Amino acid sequence: MLEFSHLSAAVAGRVLADLGAEVVRIERRGGDPARWADPVTRDRTGAARGLGFLAHNLGKRSVTIDIDTEAGSEIIARLAATADIVVLDWERIGSPAEADRLHEICTTANPRLVWCEIWPYGRGEYEMTPASELTLQAQGGHLYLNGEIDRAPVSVGAPVASSQAGVEAASAALMAYYHARRTGEGQRVDVSVQACVIWTLLNTTMTWQCMGIDEVRGGSVKKERGNSFFTRLVWRCADGYVQFGPVGGGGGAVREASYATLVAWMRDEGFYEEILDAHDWNGEGRFAIPQAAYDEVTALIGHFIEAHTLDELIERGMKRRILLAPIYTIPQLLEAEQLNARGFYRTVNDDARGISARVPGPFARLSATPLLEPRPAPLPGADTTALLTEAGFGDEAIALLTSAEVV
Amino acid sequence: MTGIFEGLKVLDFTWAAAGPIVTKQLSDNGAEVVKVESRAHPDSVRLGGPFKDGKPGINRSGFFADFNSSKKSIAVNLASQPGKDLVLRLATEWADVVVDNFRPGVLDRWGLGHDRLRTLDPRLVVLSSSLYGDDGPWRDLAGFGAQGAAVAGIHGLTGWPDLPPAMPKGAYTDSVSPRYAMAALMGALIHRDRTGEGQRIELSQVEATIEILAPELLAWQLTGVAPERAANRKPGRRLHAVLPCAGADYWIAVDVRTDPQWQALSGVLVDLGGDDLARKLTAFEALERSEEVEELVATVTMSVPPFDLEQRLHAAGVPAGVALKGSDLLADPKLRSRGHFWSLPHAEMGTLDYNGPAYRFHKTPSRLTTAAPLLGEHTDEVMSQVLGMSDEQIAQLHESGVLQ
Repeated sequence: MLEFSHLSAAVAGRVLADLGAEVVRIERRGGDPARWADPVTRDRTGAARGLGFLAHNLGKRSVTIDIDTEAGSEIIARLAATADIVVLDWERIGSPAEADRLHEICTTANPRLVWCEIWPYGRGEYEMTPASELTLQAQGGHLYLNGEIDRAPVSVGAPVASSQAGVEAASAALMAYYHARRTGEGQRVDVSVQACVIWTLLNTTMTWQCMGIDEVRGGSVKKERGNSFFTRLVWRCADGYVQFGPVGGGGGAVREASYATLVAWMRDEGFYEEILDAHDWNGEGRFAIPQAAYDEVTALIGHFIEAHTLDELIERGMKRRILLAPIYTIPQLLEAEQLNARGFYRTVNDDARGISARVPGPFARLSATPLLEPRPAPLPGADTTALLTEAGFGDEAIALLTSAEVV
Repeated sequence: MTGIFEGLKVLDFTWAAAGPIVTKQLSDNGAEVVKVESRAHPDSVRLGGPFKDGKPGINRSGFFADFNSSKKSIAVNLASQPGKDLVLRLATEWADVVVDNFRPGVLDRWGLGHDRLRTLDPRLVVLSSSLYGDDGPWRDLAGFGAQGAAVAGIHGLTGWPDLPPAMPKGAYTDSVSPRYAMAALMGALIHRDRTGEGQRIELSQVEATIEILAPELLAWQLTGVAPERAANRKPGRRLHAVLPCAGADYWIAVDVRTDPQWQALSGVLVDLGGDDLARKLTAFEALERSEEVEELVATVTMSVPPFDLEQRLHAAGVPAGVALKGSDLLADPKLRSRGHFWSLPHAEMGTLDYNGPAYRFHKTPSRLTTAAPLLGEHTDEVMSQVLGMSDEQIAQLHESGVLQ
């Protein structure tokens, strides 16, 4: 697989590298700007290391080529001749015309190629429309639904739209490759980041069509479907936050059992007050509960939760089927019990950069063809000589291309 | 050619969202996907809204509809031995792929565990996706609502710094994990094509989602600064904000990074009667005082209709996008130009627009062939055409309640 990437296509390449593909980043001479794009860390020499780059380029090779030269185009054609898949993203390639030029070079050399492009709105009428991670979270409909109702909507604080589009591109490219293997027919695939974001909403477009209702954002306090009062869904505990809908919202027997366990636990610890049993909080009677009663029970449950740590709430709450979940911070995510019990994280020792850190392990466990263990991201052009040799260039030719500042 | 997966046979035990979104990629690309349900245990989202016209009904859920286009549904009582036998035959004599997203152990209880299926049919690819994975101390905890988003770290990164984290819309792990599940499944299908060997795929939806937060995990480990929720702020941008527009609860996201974008933004604001920001503030001052920039820009945008503003900003080359609501998405020209929505007629719900895939194959287009199936709509068809049963046998199984 050949990759022209900034972020999205790099995520796609990481998926394929994990599955065992030989993934080659085609980079600018000196390395792509993704290598020092924010957020960064600094190594011993003070050099900036882009964290997105380090995370999403594990296990790849790198060749540095000036693709704007004729000789550079010849090299790309030779690399494409033996490739199966090419993935590119809009942040790296910049213009649809440039993507078309590269497409022409590569598919002329190899008509069976799967050619996959990631653009904010896909190819076509809106391929030039300016966009970014933030604006695409908005255009996919997710932004509007996040945050507090009395303030502006908020984005998810990580480039989730671009990353999800990368994973989508990986699976779509593999689908096209599956077809190419069977029929010999390569093809072009394009992915729309906006359309990827829509798939995170789950039922927003159907809610409009079925009910004539535009869903709104709820933040930490919202009116759940199935009740008439506002309920708190995010609660502060002694050392963090939990997600929890103790009352209201339906959910049937599971929710009623969850509430009963909570009330018994509160009783054990001296937090019991009559309000806890004063209403049919989760049954049919929930429609008749006044907001004031709800606020009273919320205050009481809130005091109880604040008196407990995340670990206690997981151990004595979640594991006893109380429907709460820890809202992990990034540091807590690395310490999470379940993930560590499954040995999810892997340590990557990147000796060339003097960096050692834990990264997410396999995205799936395949019994016959397990995913590869992560290996460090390549240094810029680390594999240029090897790849040019594999592509049939002799030592002299490589020396010439180097002097000509093509590679 | 009716799609990439023409001829691929899939037995689908999935329910809710995380599983059905995977098998929808198969059915919308030509695979024959048979969804196994029963009257006692239909796909649970059939029971939740939104219902068409607000009228509850097992075949009226829009939530269910969107994720189950192009699929068939059979209703079989899996508590009965003949029901188990029937489904076992479908799995081992007919299917190429079996997919579920139950808690670990549920298929085993029906005698349909992966080991058994794969012993009977070594070419079978079985995919099981659950919230926490099939081992570890949390394996048996049921997933609910947006819990996955909390445990996978997405919720914690969303919201205002001065308020508790804001719950992101959707069961977030249900939308990230299907993309990874598809990649894994494709790996297994390609391996099977090459070698004839099937295999088992196990996936934790939480783990798959954490993959996309790998840079944030590195940030904490390598810089000692943990990424946290920051509303829409981003250091290093002159403007990275969600601004009010005219109209009821309309907002526009604007992201200004480069000098030309800054000049262009300023030009648009001047056209709209605002200050010339590029003259008022140097580039460095704008970076330093991005909160003030946001306020200044908002005073102009708040009286401009959102789509008019978006058009002006796009024409000037500024990355911008209205925060689209559900109704806006359905009307969005960008999505329409791509053919994203598919109008499909349904016996009880009428014609609705279904979401199509986010990818587009230029030679083997995806096709949503039918609306979501009624519960058990294809029971008789599958029994007769796939298992070769006679009308009499089928009638008998209906009578004994095995088929429903």
